[in-house]
Amino acid sequence: MNVLFGSPALHALVLGVGIVSALLGVTSYFIWFERKFAGRMQSRIGPKHVGPYGLLQPIADAFKLLIKADITPDTADRALFNLAPLLAVCVALLSLAVLPLASGLVIADLDVGVLFFLAAGALTVVPTWMAGWGSNNKYALLGGMRAIAQSVAYGVPLVLAALVPVILSGSMKLSDIVAAQAGGHWFALWPPGPGLGAGVLFVLASLAEGNRIPFDIPEAESELVSGISTEYTGMKFGMFYLGEYVHSLVVAALFVTLFLGGYDGPGPDVLALQLLWFVLKVSLVSVLLLWVRWSYVRLRSDQLMTLCWKYLLPSGLLLVAASAVWVWWTEQGGSR
Amino acid sequence: MSALEILGLSLLALFVLAGALGTVLSKNLVHSVLWLALALVATAGIYVRLTAGFLAGAQVLLYAGGVITLAIFAVMLSARIEGGPIPNESAKRGRGALVALAVAGLFGGVLLQADVLAPRDLPVVDAADIGRSFLGEYVLPFEVLSVLLVAAMIGAIVIARREDP
Repeated sequence: MNVLFGSPALHALVLGVGIVSALLGVTSYFIWFERKFAGRMQSRIGPKHVGPYGLLQPIADAFKLLIKADITPDTADRALFNLAPLLAVCVALLSLAVLPLASGLVIADLDVGVLFFLAAGALTVVPTWMAGWGSNNKYALLGGMRAIAQSVAYGVPLVLAALVPVILSGSMKLSDIVAAQAGGHWFALWPPGPGLGAGVLFVLASLAEGNRIPFDIPEAESELVSGISTEYTGMKFGMFYLGEYVHSLVVAALFVTLFLGGYDGPGPDVLALQLLWFVLKVSLVSVLLLWVRWSYVRLRSDQLMTLCWKYLLPSGLLLVAASAVWVWWTEQGGSR
Repeated sequence: MSALEILGLSLLALFVLAGALGTVLSKNLVHSVLWLALALVATAGIYVRLTAGFLAGAQVLLYAGGVITLAIFAVMLSARIEGGPIPNESAKRGRGALVALAVAGLFGGVLLQADVLAPRDLPVVDAADIGRSFLGEYVLPFEVLSVLLVAAMIGAIVIARREDP
């Protein structure tokens, strides 16, 4: 494995601390951006009072969350209630470990990288369940159960969508998947069909797994107050909020890595330029996701399940078969 | 093995043990499920230490993700949905202890015979090799297992189905 600093352990530690800190900073400004963006889409201005253009708003918000009263309900399951927000953030950050930000700039370039982030995604049900059950509140519990049903359902198309780049590149290592797309051969563009289809499927399924609008029925505020975070106050609520935003940024980054060539872009292969391309692509995809989020209304619970099982799952199977045929066909062409 | 590696493995073993004991001894069914999740994830950690990355990923994805979710649903659908902890009394402790002792004896015996404590370089298990052996040498057992799983699933649906009125 390529390491930048001495031993693999030191490499993972330095990069891990660096990337996580950077991401947490980016996330708070991503929230500021989303509020501005949503404001503009609804003919409002968005945050503007704290600092120029409201730029100090994230800091004010974080401070407010920190000094708010920390309430644990009397009848809550204390251990689960307090552990859940912490685990939610940790699980959301897990996928970062295998993301290549630039050539060699990856915390741990695992051979089974794709499997790793799928497994990390599957773990989100645990903190959700801990919060939903531990709050001892019927809205929280209903929200938790909805979230779990949703992640189980959408985990299946997510795996199928992630399988398409694996088949096309012949590797589960994310750096190999990026290398296979080098020189503009991004899987979203080529082969026409399976790549783009799988990309769309991947985004839909991961948004649903992370409970973002239009798939946010677990905390549908008109029905469930605010789902699993109903009983949470102060920073513990803040951590759920943070976890959700980290998840949506990670989804954008994974989409870029799997389907948009990762850090591949025109220009010489220098680290800074690769990083720039990566950040640029992730930002564009994130804005696109925000656009979707603020344009569509929430689906109903049964519509969500219909969409998953009747449409996304069969199309996922078709896409996997199509990409396998494509690989077989190109290999035949190559040997002839 | 270096002292650091031994420390890491011991910590993982401690987590597995704590999870397993918590699962059986906890008086609250929900806590039991979560202790089981801890035991399963820590087992995946041991697989990683043994350079079986694919197995570790599959363990977390299928057991911690799938099995725990099913367990949660089983708990929620079989018990009253709200209002305090769900009691979890252990039944038939004597027989349970007997089975546990027998399993511990079996594994202990095997481990004592095998030369596991000798230092060695573990071969890295490649996911591609696992795939090749599943679809090559062991394709028949693999497919038979799939048929078995489908049969079990159909069986569960038939048992759970209510007759139409």
